[in-house]
Amino acid sequence: MIGAAESNSAEQRMNKKTLLIVDDSRVSRMMIRALVLERQPEWQIFEAGNGEEAINQVRENMPDYVTMDMNMPGMDGVAASEQIRQAYPTTKIVLLTANIQESSRQKAQQLGLAFVTKPITAACIDQALAFYAQP
Amino acid sequence: MLSPDMLELDDMERDALTEVFNIGVGQAASAMSQMVNDRVELSVPSISFTSRAAAALELTHDAGQRICGVSQRFQGSFEADAILMFPENKSLEIVRLMIGDDMPIEELTAMEQEALTEIGNIILNALIGTLANVFGSEFSSSLPAFHFGTSSEILQAERKNADDLVMLLHVDFKLETHQINGYVAFLLDVSSVQGLRDSINRFMGNIAR
Repeated sequence: MIGAAESNSAEQRMNKKTLLIVDDSRVSRMMIRALVLERQPEWQIFEAGNGEEAINQVRENMPDYVTMDMNMPGMDGVAASEQIRQAYPTTKIVLLTANIQESSRQKAQQLGLAFVTKPITAACIDQALAFYAQP
Repeated sequence: MLSPDMLELDDMERDALTEVFNIGVGQAASAMSQMVNDRVELSVPSISFTSRAAAALELTHDAGQRICGVSQRFQGSFEADAILMFPENKSLEIVRLMIGDDMPIEELTAMEQEALTEIGNIILNALIGTLANVFGSEFSSSLPAFHFGTSSEILQAERKNADDLVMLLHVDFKLETHQINGYVAFLLDVSSVQGLRDSINRFMGNIAR
């Protein structure tokens, strides 16, 4: 039988996930980080400001989860997600974007990404976390 | 040369455009309301054909007033500049409403421009995204650009020609509790008006089916 201490430790390991926040807006990254840490204080968080940086960060840190902005300077979020999905198919990515167009939602769906629209609120972060928690 | 009369929309087209624009600014207002946690009141959208210089006056009634603006250019079945503007002296208050009271004023000030750009990005994308969804089309957009100056300077920032004839759609908004007024404007070059008209007519054709 597993003791309470061991069980807590296993739970902590389970809770200690890694998240990469990709957004060209520093304010958005800050808001996402604060809302995620309110809910998952154990998580380790990395940040990237565009698609190229995101791919480098994924190579380096192999995050469990990613929030990906769409419209960014240089490589956009869709192109970056496509590359990440090919190289790391188990990484769960949420496209977190101001672009509410149906065509963007469809692109996300085709790539197997969750589609969550800005503004960044508690509700939209809960939506992203619910997607990450899916088996 | 094209005159404003030649560009006029008929009553049905004008009615449909006002309705679609209304839906778009409704989405934009909802996004803004969530960001600043306040109720957002909107005026009835207004449509006019005018020069960029006259459009600047129409928006603020005071061409000398210093304002902050965020603009994005959208390209699809028609091309347009979408612009969010609000008075310079209210900009920090808007950022505080978005980020919260916890941040020291120095840090808040340092982030002001970036925060306003992101607010503009979200609001303008809510508007144009709704138009795209209603028209069943796709628009690409430039990255949001922050401007600071008079409305004349901001409206001419992209094109540099005060005499250019444009179609101006605009709506005034007000944050109810905080008494902050602003404007969302949508400027189309005359060369894009036919594309917009085609989109409206397709939209009306779909409704009539």
